Amino acid sequence: MLKEKKKVSRFELLMDAGFGAQKAGDILISAFAATGKFVYIEPMIPAEISPPPRTAAALSGVIIRVADFDITNIGNDADVIVASHEIVLNRRLDDEETNPNCRVLLDMGDKPGNEETYEKVCRRVTDLGLSIIPFETDAESKALIQSMQGAGKNMYYIGMLAAIYNTPAEAVEEKIKKTFGKKLKEDILAKNVKIFDNGYNFAKQGVFFSYEIESRPREGEKILIDGNTSLSMGIIDAGIKLFSGYPITPASSIMHTLARSFPAYGGVVHQAEDEIAAIGTAIGAYFGGVPSVTCTSGPGLSLKQEFIGFASAAEIPIIVIDAQRSGPSTGMPTKTEQSDLLAAMFGSHGDNTKIVLSVANVIDCFYAPQMARYLAEKLRLPVFIMTDFLTANSYKIIDRPKANEITNIDDIPDFVFERFHLKRLPASIEMVRLIQSIPGTPGALRRVTGLNTDREGKVNYFSKQNHLGHQIRNQKVNLVRQALVKPEMFGKEEGELLIVGWGSARGTIEEAINLCQADGLPVAGLHLKIVNPLPPMLKDIFSKYKRVMTVEVAYGDNIKFSPLAYILRAETLTDVRSLISLASGRPIRPKSIYAMAKAALSKKEGVSLVASS
Amino acid sequence: MNTQLQDKSAEQPLTMKDLQTENPRWCLGCGDFGIIAAVKRFLVDTQLIAYKTVNVSGIGCSGRAPNYINTYGVHSIHGRPITIATGLALARPDLNLFVHSGDGDALSIGGNHLIHGINKNFKCVFLLYDNELYALTKNQTSPTTRKGHKTMTQPVGTYLDPINPVRTALGLGASFVASTTDWMPDHLASTLKAAFEHPGFAFVHISQRCPHFDAENFDHKTSSWFTFLKHANGIAPDKRLAEKTEIIEHDPSNIEAAFKYANAERRYYGLFFQDKSKARYDDILHNLIKDTPQKPRSKILDQYMLE
Ligand SMILES: Cc1ncc(C[n+]2csc(CCOP(=O)(O)OP(=O)(O)O)c2C)c(N)n1
Ligand code: SF4
Ligand SMILES: [Mg+2]
Repeated sequence: MLKEKKKVSRFELLMDAGFGAQKAGDILISAFAATGKFVYIEPMIPAEISPPPRTAAALSGVIIRVADFDITNIGNDADVIVASHEIVLNRRLDDEETNPNCRVLLDMGDKPGNEETYEKVCRRVTDLGLSIIPFETDAESKALIQSMQGAGKNMYYIGMLAAIYNTPAEAVEEKIKKTFGKKLKEDILAKNVKIFDNGYNFAKQGVFFSYEIESRPREGEKILIDGNTSLSMGIIDAGIKLFSGYPITPASSIMHTLARSFPAYGGVVHQAEDEIAAIGTAIGAYFGGVPSVTCTSGPGLSLKQEFIGFASAAEIPIIVIDAQRSGPSTGMPTKTEQSDLLAAMFGSHGDNTKIVLSVANVIDCFYAPQMARYLAEKLRLPVFIMTDFLTANSYKIIDRPKANEITNIDDIPDFVFERFHLKRLPASIEMVRLIQSIPGTPGALRRVTGLNTDREGKVNYFSKQNHLGHQIRNQKVNLVRQALVKPEMFGKEEGELLIVGWGSARGTIEEAINLCQADGLPVAGLHLKIVNPLPPMLKDIFSKYKRVMTVEVAYGDNIKFSPLAYILRAETLTDVRSLISLASGRPIRPKSIYAMAKAALSKKEGVSLVASS
Repeated sequence: MNTQLQDKSAEQPLTMKDLQTENPRWCLGCGDFGIIAAVKRFLVDTQLIAYKTVNVSGIGCSGRAPNYINTYGVHSIHGRPITIATGLALARPDLNLFVHSGDGDALSIGGNHLIHGINKNFKCVFLLYDNELYALTKNQTSPTTRKGHKTMTQPVGTYLDPINPVRTALGLGASFVASTTDWMPDHLASTLKAAFEHPGFAFVHISQRCPHFDAENFDHKTSSWFTFLKHANGIAPDKRLAEKTEIIEHDPSNIEAAFKYANAERRYYGLFFQDKSKARYDDILHNLIKDTPQKPRSKILDQYMLE
């Protein structure tokens, strides 16, 4: 095996659903992490449970990025692909996420009887200029896999990948034992380890290349966690005591995690009959003075809208987590998108006010529930936490966040506010209703209604009173606007082009700006966490650049502005357009931003560039 | 000054006057007056603490009820009061919970929640204000409108047979099913008492007059058109009307007989069914916490540590 040193590399494992690609990926990255590498893993999950094997729909896999430095996103393209057969490989090639020198290791085990498609796909690989490395599992592994009804193939593949990435076999074996030790019978476990070893030894001898990524001694305590687990733990740490939801991808795993953990922290998980009931129950709990949260994705967000307006009118705090997926309608349940921004901001009828914050990464996920609780309780308004499929499911190694063990919102430390670029709000904030007590409090029997009321809470349809209610609610949002400090920026404070993104786009923007700067391009980046309201200094910041362009995983074209561009235009009267506004279901790549930025700089002003793929 | 502020401390006895808020905006003769009067009377008779009581409602003429009872209250959105009540029951088991819902609210837009409220059997008194039409939106057919009755949306006469609320509740496995009317204060009060004492979701169907849109419905002057169900474990017939109509013995633990009366052409008022042993969702979730060893939050991320 030749050894090539690399600082960072990305590879993927492609299999049929149901054969343990994700589990194998988890094992591999824990071993990488244990040997001092930084990792980022994005699973590829089909929307169906068991799509027929050897079909494009069956593609299930993992994309893993490994580096000798802390990585913030899934990165660019693949250096290595291991595919269990030609169909999943062919499907994945459609996404065009391979490096020019990508090496494709294709399992030829399925070739007999499928010669034609195998040849076609192999030709496609070589036509793309990539190298194809056919291989087959050895006879012993084949027999072992057969004895386990096809299971265990994933072990062979990670054996190969462990060897290709120069990871000691023992490190992976240990993780295999840790993962399966309790669940599998001893002989089955031994078979899995044996298959892994065979894959490992095969690659050591049979694969001519390998990558060496330097190990870094780990400083401080690190955890390996995905976005939804981090959010779940963050919900507990924030002192929230009731979770109410209805199953929907990619939000469900929060409910799964809390269903297991919450009771030990005095929390209730309520599986509601639908998303309307889920938010109603969360609102009921919060009216009762108990911090609560509801969690959903696109279709569920649509169902919750009436109650969101109600909470805003009735001045009941509520936290809504929206794990965005590709829409409209059921869309692509297991693909990422950032297209719920406007539905979150403007959803629900009438002028209704709310705060929308987003998470950039798994650390934000942990602290966002605290920030949301603070805002919801201070303002008595709905507060959104916007995450997405990508953040929800991607694992990353992070410094172990400090648990704040919040009981009361006054316990929330400054660093959480700083993380969301917000100052504390004034101690007392004007509400529409003078009484805001919780049941059980004598002397102030509070009754709420979605009807307009006077200051005492009595139903009232007088025009002045109604307008006043709107003013007070909108002033609450304005207070947040005034408390927003300058958002995070990358690169120079002035230049030709400013690239703006929100939520999960942060890591990609940061990396893209580094690429641009290395190349001397006058490009800077800006990332927003709180997106409604927007910080007041945006217009000033924008004025320092000739052009301001967004990058979003949401649809936009030359006529229709993408969601973020739309609100930035409205807010700043700047001619913001999208540099990338793709509804591809795939994360934006740093190098696409770099390439598009370069192209934009060479074109006339005002020309909107929309990446075609 | 604001009446909401004028609740008394627990030591002083609660009076009808304490429960007053503003003049209800209902039509003269509306059955809703009778229902909230009975609720107030019940609160006074049992001396429930007003600040530990929450009335929750949906939307409709009936939905306004919480605004007119001086306790805590949530006048929520159309069809969804059960969802709010679920949150209160889970978060605040110390509170007295009353849910007020119209026939449209409970059986049409909120039908799904009714199914699950009944099934979850969390502790609350559920009052179905059944005027057999949509009143607040001005006289449309509701799920309980009698067949042939003319409304704004089915002007040639309501097309279908109505949904039978009592049978529906029984069919869904309700642990407490009673029926009463707005114009029998004594029976209504006894029903509320039985419902409140029930350990679970107490489904109380109330025939409610809407003189504005359907004056002919519910002949409250005569009583020969209905029968009282009576039993030692049931609800006593209305004192004023008991002599004037049929009374039959019905053991509320007998589900078959309950269905028989629910299915009949004739109306029956009283306790159809009660099962105090049905599992309660709120109890189950609270016990889950009680039975789980509690952990300190400081160690919450330990399980994800890289060793
Ligand atoms: C989502 C929604 N749809 C429609 C309405 C309009 N609406 C208000 S009350 C009502 C019907 C009320 O009927 P019912 O529940 O029987 O109550 P009643 O007025 O008869 O007491 C409707 C349809 C609404 N408020 N919200
Ligand atoms: S319309 Fe009917 S239900 Fe509504 S207040 Fe008038 S009488 Fe009562
Ligand atoms: Mg009605």
